[in-house]
Amino acid sequence: MKTFGKLFTFLVYLFLYAPLLVMIIFSFNEAASTSVFTGFSLHWYGELLNKRQIGEALQNTLILASLSSITATLIGTLAALGIYHMKKKAVVKAYMTVTNIPMMNPDIITGVSLMLLFVFVGKTLGMQDSLGFGTLLIAHITFNIPYVILNVLPKLRQTDPHLLEAALDLGCTPVKAFIKVVLPAISSGIVSGLIMAFTLSLDDFVISYYTTGSDFQTLPTLIYSITKKPVKPYIYALFSIIFFVILLMLVLMNVMQAKSDRKNARKNS
Amino acid sequence: MEKNNKLIELKNIVVEFDGERVIDDMSLYIGDGEFVTLLGCSGCGKTTTLRVIAGFIQPQSGEVFFDSKNINGVPPYKRSVNTIFQRYALFPNYNVYDNIAFGLRVNKVPEKEIEQRVSEMLKLVNLQGFEKRSITKLSGGQQQRVAIARAVINRPKVLLLDEPLAALDLKLRKDMQKELKNIQRQLGITFIYVTHDQEEALSMSDTVVVMHEGKIQQIGKPVDIYNEPKNAFVADFIGESNIIDGVMEDDFKVKLDGKSFECLDKGFAKGEPVDVVIRPEDVDIVPAGQGMLRGVIKSVTFRGVHFEILIDVQDFMWMIQTTDEYKEGQEVDLKIDPDAIHIMKKSKYSGQFGDYSTYSDEMDALSEITEEDEE
Ligand SMILES: Nc1ncnc2c1ncn2[C@@H]1O[C@H](COP(=O)(O)OP(=O)(O)O)[C@@H](O)[C@H]1O
Ligand SMILES: [Mg+2]
Repeated sequence: MKTFGKLFTFLVYLFLYAPLLVMIIFSFNEAASTSVFTGFSLHWYGELLNKRQIGEALQNTLILASLSSITATLIGTLAALGIYHMKKKAVVKAYMTVTNIPMMNPDIITGVSLMLLFVFVGKTLGMQDSLGFGTLLIAHITFNIPYVILNVLPKLRQTDPHLLEAALDLGCTPVKAFIKVVLPAISSGIVSGLIMAFTLSLDDFVISYYTTGSDFQTLPTLIYSITKKPVKPYIYALFSIIFFVILLMLVLMNVMQAKSDRKNARKNS
Repeated sequence: MEKNNKLIELKNIVVEFDGERVIDDMSLYIGDGEFVTLLGCSGCGKTTTLRVIAGFIQPQSGEVFFDSKNINGVPPYKRSVNTIFQRYALFPNYNVYDNIAFGLRVNKVPEKEIEQRVSEMLKLVNLQGFEKRSITKLSGGQQQRVAIARAVINRPKVLLLDEPLAALDLKLRKDMQKELKNIQRQLGITFIYVTHDQEEALSMSDTVVVMHEGKIQQIGKPVDIYNEPKNAFVADFIGESNIIDGVMEDDFKVKLDGKSFECLDKGFAKGEPVDVVIRPEDVDIVPAGQGMLRGVIKSVTFRGVHFEILIDVQDFMWMIQTTDEYKEGQEVDLKIDPDAIHIMKKSKYSGQFGDYSTYSDEMDALSEITEEDEE
């Protein structure tokens, strides 16, 4: 039974990681072949560096992810505060349902409907080509907001409702009271909302594909357009790099988590 | 101590939540340096009253005066009133020192003065050496002290305390009662204290305000509230009371259970029906034939200092407290002196309280638990 379990685990991991492994190996292939490994070389990595459009797309993706996640975090946090302070339970339920729908909705529907809206509004305003960075940014902010709300709202509900009043009582104006006592209490929710929004924005292909124009490519949309042609091995090189960056981030996050856990444990002992 | 007769005055305050009247036409004034307690069971509007004074709730109608100035529209952060919240509401992201220093920092007091005043406060509440401690690592009693220090350091004219000791165990509660009273005397701050514990209210306050269903039932000194309750609700709520239907025959003469009793009350109409309050400790049990009312002992419970004895007199169950032991089923007489009798006008609470026929220990214990759960 035990050996069977081990074997099973091994098979699961094999299926998960074999494709990645093959891809990484062939990114170091000398020849352009995807079936014969002719020898080790960094040739494709060198070629990758020469592709200006990839660097540009990477930059675009990072700018888009930063701007959209920060804006979504601001709007989402305010929205969470609004929902939190609503009195009527039924109204809160309604708002939460409306918030949840975009997350459940298939990306392709969100993407196409946003595109229709942008084109319609663009035409009405007399613009030739309305799709581009602006529309892409709006789209990303839109689909990120619910995730921020979902991260911030539980934190708000966990904090003592009298904290704000206590600060007011001690002489703070409402804004100051919020910044000094409520914000620190919900900051972990805001940060995790921000990180989630950032990664979702980095990752998004479908919605971006429909809402951007030809003059603004993100990494996912660019890769899609390249991979439609016969795939060049420098794409493997790009994927391998992305894979290792993500691996590194995961390791770092785990290390940081372990550190803060230890710190908390010491604090509470 | 009393510089100003009316430091705070509430005039005809009405508060409604979703159309439900929670404070009903409440008027009250509080003198400078006074220790006033709002006493009432859970849900009677005590917290709401404090929140009106602190400025967290705007009343539907009525006026709030501070130092003879109307402060109805003044926001909480501009009122020189500080609050100790029911659950303390300490700031979890600050340590003890920073919690206590919070109010002074907001008001931009120089850091040097803050340091000195915080250390004074720590001494006052007996928390020296806890400066750097995280709030989450304090016991309930210690958190309570931090909450007191955080409020008192601002030298408010008035301190509002919302059931500050309700979460502490009995022994600690008694100690803190003394400490709070000391702090109040030392600093001369006006205390408006909220509790549902009548013993706490009677032992700490200069003035007790008994509330029920959003209305003030009686305002008075603790002794007066106990000895001269205004209606059946107050008589029953404060301590134990036998409340019997009676009829005034004349000044100083009341008839109950078919017998005439001398009393010290006058000013009622001849033949006016009244509620007669007789405290359990004011009745003497004497051998049958030597007293005024004949009864049968139904139960005897040992309470430590005294026995609690229930006696059936003409289908009305009296409670009597005495240090002598009696047996169940024994036939005895009750002897009641004129000064043991207190006469009250009939009110809407007449007939609801003061008969111990349905009384049992379990019920008392139960009602106390649910009361605490609701908080
Ligand atoms: N914010 C609120 N919204 C609706 N009802 C409330 C609110 N605050 C208090 N109440 C109601 O008002 C009544 C009095 O409450 P409260 O003043 O907290 O009583 P106490 O402090 O004496 O226990 C209760 O019935 C309570 O349910
Ligand atoms: Mg309360």
